[in-house]
Amino acid sequence: MLELYTSEPNTFFLKPLIALHEKQAKFETRWIDTEKFEQFALSPAGEVEAHLHLEREGPLLRHDGTLISNSFFMIEYIAETLPGTALMPEAPFDKYRAHASGQFLGGHLGALVPILGCVKYLAPKLAALDRSRLDATLAGVEPVERRQGWRALLDGTYTPQILATARERLKFSVQRVEATLAADSWLAGPNYSIADIDAFAMLRVIPDLAPEVVNARDTPRVVEYLARIEARPAVKAALATSRSGKPAEAYVPGVEPSRWG
Amino acid sequence: MSVRLYHWEPNANSGKPMLTLAEKGVDFESHYLDLLKFDQHQPEYLKVNPDGTIPAMVHGSRVLTESTPMMEYVDDEFPGPPLKPTDTKERWRMRWWMRFFDSYFGPSLCMIGWAVFVGPAARQRPREELEAAIARIPLESRRIAWRKAMFNEFSTEELDESRRRVRFCTGILEDHLARHEWIAGKTFSLGDINGFNLGYALPLSQPDNCNDAKTPHIMEWLRRIYERPATKQTWKHGRTAMAERVKFLERGHHA
Repeated sequence: MLELYTSEPNTFFLKPLIALHEKQAKFETRWIDTEKFEQFALSPAGEVEAHLHLEREGPLLRHDGTLISNSFFMIEYIAETLPGTALMPEAPFDKYRAHASGQFLGGHLGALVPILGCVKYLAPKLAALDRSRLDATLAGVEPVERRQGWRALLDGTYTPQILATARERLKFSVQRVEATLAADSWLAGPNYSIADIDAFAMLRVIPDLAPEVVNARDTPRVVEYLARIEARPAVKAALATSRSGKPAEAYVPGVEPSRWG
Repeated sequence: MSVRLYHWEPNANSGKPMLTLAEKGVDFESHYLDLLKFDQHQPEYLKVNPDGTIPAMVHGSRVLTESTPMMEYVDDEFPGPPLKPTDTKERWRMRWWMRFFDSYFGPSLCMIGWAVFVGPAARQRPREELEAAIARIPLESRRIAWRKAMFNEFSTEELDESRRRVRFCTGILEDHLARHEWIAGKTFSLGDINGFNLGYALPLSQPDNCNDAKTPHIMEWLRRIYERPATKQTWKHGRTAMAERVKFLERGHHA
């Protein structure tokens, strides 16, 4: 049995939905309302990988009793385990490129996009809630890194200066993608793969969050690439699972920014 | 096609492809770069890896610069004993734990190592020389890290937080190895190679957190990996006292 714990199809949550639809897999959906913190009930301390949740928030996939976490390794698991369309490159060097892309973008876009998205859409919603109740809810959240992702939004940690640095760093990551697309149609070789699903889920919201970073003039290849992926039936099906009708306005805190500064 | 590997000591990121190649029985042309002399930021090496990070592997026309994906490449590309489980749940666990080592446990351990070892070693040189060395570093994130280490800009809070995380991660790893023989589960894999490179010196650098009484499963796991012929062979590439630390894992060393 395959059960996906999911929420609005954006960023981390969008990736496995696309992969499962590409595979035309049968799966049960368990909806999580992240703004009601329902996700914290799902990852008991005994299941360490789901509890620590290296991306801090995101989907979980339960397959025959095992709880799979981390959105990139989850789509690689889907690619390696389920029958259907191949989503993992065959050639070892293309596999390397898929892994290297997932690692690089996971650390960069995985941290930066959620900061900009949360400040724009989630922080105002949280500000309208009762602060003492929020504090009480978050006080019990373990591990502390997950709690801090939410606390940072309440405490106004993301100053204009931090946001400006985040945008600059975003430009650096996106330019790497633009350069890769100058040589190849896809990020990990001649075929569409999990590297593209992974990148798409984070890149597609940047024209909204930081239009100076992704636009037709500065990143024409990224713009064309996003349109090409957006047109895939599996992507349309994944986005159609939205309950709000505005998946690109739903954010959760993401990967912890580097503690080195 | 021969394999050229640019690496520092068998330790952390450099040791990951070195030990993987040894486990697969793949010969490679070794190019030792001295991290503390900033060989990795010299123009000659920047032609190989413009990011100026080590390790880098060159195989024919292919250039690989990310150490964990590099390990998977070595396993996929060359014959020799498989270093990934066949069970896909074990594979997922292997990859999750490698990310845990690379992005969570490693950076905290590294911050302590840079504060107590790399920084003081670098500060032997004149300030102008250090500034010039920093100016040559291509990646912003690496410039920030080197500046912190060279000029000892770590705050007490940052170091305390890193120490807390190292204690926490050591406990998590001990619990995991109490339940599983290897990182992925039943199979020795790249996850163990990755974890050994991060953790082989933990009993020496963190004696209060990692020892036979407190973390018997970590100790036994490290010793089992230390005893593998590939590990012995790999640690012979070490040129400094850093690599010598692995001998602490000799059984009976600590009677």
